[in-house]
Amino acid sequence: MDNLKEQLPNTPPEGTTWEVELKKVGFVRRLLMGRHWYGADWWFVVISSIAVLAFIIVAIAPGLFAPYSPDALVGPRFLAPGAYAELSVLVVPQDSKVNQLEDLAVPEGADRPQIAVVQDVPTSGDLNTQAQAIDQELKNQPAGLRLRPIIDRYASLDEALQAVVEGKDIAAVIQTTEYKNSHAQFPTLREAASLTGEKVAGGFILGTNDIGQDIFSRMLWGTRIALIIGFSSSLLSLFLGVPLGLLAGFMGGAFDRLLSLVMDSLYAFPGLILAIAITAVLGPSMLNIIIAIAVLYIPTYYRIVRGQTLTVKEEVYIEAARSIGARRWDILWRYIFPNVIPSVAIIFSVNVADAILTGAGLSFLGLGLPPTMADWGIDLARGQRFIQSAWWMITFPGLAILLVVLSFTLMGEGLTEIFNPKLRDR
Amino acid sequence: MSDDILYSVHNLSVDYKTRGGAVRAVDNVSLDIRRGEILGLVGESGCGKSTFGKALLRLHDGPASIPEGELWFDGRDLMKLSINEMPAIRGAELGMVFQDPMTSLNPVQSIMEHLTETIQAHEPKVSNAAARARAEELVERLGIRHERLKEYPHQMSGGMRQRVMISLALALRAKLVIADEPTTSLDVIVEAKFLDLLKELREEFGLTILLITHNIGVVAEICDRVAVMYAAKMVEVGTAEEVFAQPKHPYTQGLLKSVPNINMGEGELYKMGGEPPSLLHPPTGCRFHPRCPAAMEICSRIEPTFESVAGDHMAACWLYQKQTDSQASTRKKANLG
Repeated sequence: MDNLKEQLPNTPPEGTTWEVELKKVGFVRRLLMGRHWYGADWWFVVISSIAVLAFIIVAIAPGLFAPYSPDALVGPRFLAPGAYAELSVLVVPQDSKVNQLEDLAVPEGADRPQIAVVQDVPTSGDLNTQAQAIDQELKNQPAGLRLRPIIDRYASLDEALQAVVEGKDIAAVIQTTEYKNSHAQFPTLREAASLTGEKVAGGFILGTNDIGQDIFSRMLWGTRIALIIGFSSSLLSLFLGVPLGLLAGFMGGAFDRLLSLVMDSLYAFPGLILAIAITAVLGPSMLNIIIAIAVLYIPTYYRIVRGQTLTVKEEVYIEAARSIGARRWDILWRYIFPNVIPSVAIIFSVNVADAILTGAGLSFLGLGLPPTMADWGIDLARGQRFIQSAWWMITFPGLAILLVVLSFTLMGEGLTEIFNPKLRDR
Repeated sequence: MSDDILYSVHNLSVDYKTRGGAVRAVDNVSLDIRRGEILGLVGESGCGKSTFGKALLRLHDGPASIPEGELWFDGRDLMKLSINEMPAIRGAELGMVFQDPMTSLNPVQSIMEHLTETIQAHEPKVSNAAARARAEELVERLGIRHERLKEYPHQMSGGMRQRVMISLALALRAKLVIADEPTTSLDVIVEAKFLDLLKELREEFGLTILLITHNIGVVAEICDRVAVMYAAKMVEVGTAEEVFAQPKHPYTQGLLKSVPNINMGEGELYKMGGEPPSLLHPPTGCRFHPRCPAAMEICSRIEPTFESVAGDHMAACWLYQKQTDSQASTRKKANLG
């Protein structure tokens, strides 16, 4: 601070308002240090609300954004992010009648077809697998055709394709990308069919997992489950915690003391441990996770609402309401409740973030959802096993959790600071 | 009870439970409020005047309770009603205006909602439109433009809020309005306007007002009669002229001398000696005797009764007691027995 003063010739005297300082710094610093200045908080709310909104839209219709179904085995296993899915493709001369691998089948005893492949490229494996499968089928058919190709290995792609052009080999099996790069040099060749038939040859921007599912699609579909768990458990605890807090604060007495004792004991448990205990008893299912997390957060609402109720109850306007003949129920519902609810709205937002985190934690431990579901926690647990070979499997679900939790928390905190300016100087 | 008395309080006591034991904040107080008058209730801070005001509506809860007393309002004893019957009377027949207009309105309700809710709470059959029309008419009368009814309390000034509070009491034509230091937090000009308004409303609506205040000037300005409380006891009641011209009780005399006056020279302002007594352990006998310049031997032993000094002018002081020392002693023994 002293350094800064020396550097700036016209440092305004101590205690000048934030406006002066705010003009001196750039946009990025303003964003980063926004919380120090009055008036910059809305950035946090705007940015985090946009993020929250985006997550909600994705959660409502993940199908619109996700290229694949979350459960479909759409590509090769362990494909790195951005890597193109390499598929083996059958390349034949332009005038050949061959359109797929089955067309290469010949009668028993005839010359076996020679097919060119490139050395050290996994296409020969694909070719073998496919050819054997077709051969098995053909064996059972009366036509007497067999497919047992002779595989010619060449040192380079050009040599393999040249062999086809020259007619040494009837066809070549090479990778799609390689063929795309070099098909201009061999105008007499054409791409007949993908060896694996229906399989999609598109890219996977966040890669694939250990069984060939698209990580990006699973991430988008996981948003839905995360938000369902986050919102429904928070709503459940809100609907239970708020009325209990209101009643306890308003009625006081033995009811209040007993309930506070129960709530404080719940509150004293470490969150995840209690959730684990509850799911362990209830068994793993979506509903049970929601119940377990809701139980966890009821005391949060209860304590805040009860405290607020105790404060509001002593306000003069409550006494004034009684003096004009308002009944107890009216006082609770029309005077205390509306004055308490803003603080509930704020903790709700932070609570959703917390609930998502706990939900993911439960799934990670295997106590949550069935492992077939597209859930971030499950993906994390799965990715953890391959953390050294496939970093992307654990990174992206983790990032998704981080982003959702961060945006909900920031929104909640930003709202707190806007609605409750007294906290601004913390 | 004669017809011109609207509210008659007999031997009212209010207790507060505290850790140190029960504190009697109002002790055996009797007071008649006459129809159509403005009665000023004055006293030091903590002497029980606000507690007394709230007790008239039976607004006590929590640690406070009314162990004894009768509250005869308009021909019935409110103490005989169940507490669930009180909301019907509060607001409709008895209204209250609180000290701090900044906090006595619900911050999340518009003024219109306050008024219509009050009307409909007591007269559920009134339609929303009719309630609104009544509210508009009422606030216009009190000098608030009806367009402002949709505003929220924080958008209004202190004087306006105090007028809104009055309008809540008037919405159902309350017969008695208890105004608990209504002008304390207002500046002098707004205060003067508000007092004028009270006087006008008294004429127009036949309103009876109990004005609780520690401001002697306000009492002199608008009150017909004055009641003075000291340490939970009523010490003097009389018409404003009587009390101001010939204060009987030494406490009242001291109180009037303590009012600053612009014509006074430096150091002339009277300061009453001593401190107000703790209600947890009040002095024996007359509660004012430790501070009283005219204290006699009997004052510390036996409590004076509250009796007439001249006509309706009442005081509780040994200077004016008709009973003798021995009579008082026997009475005291009888009470103890």
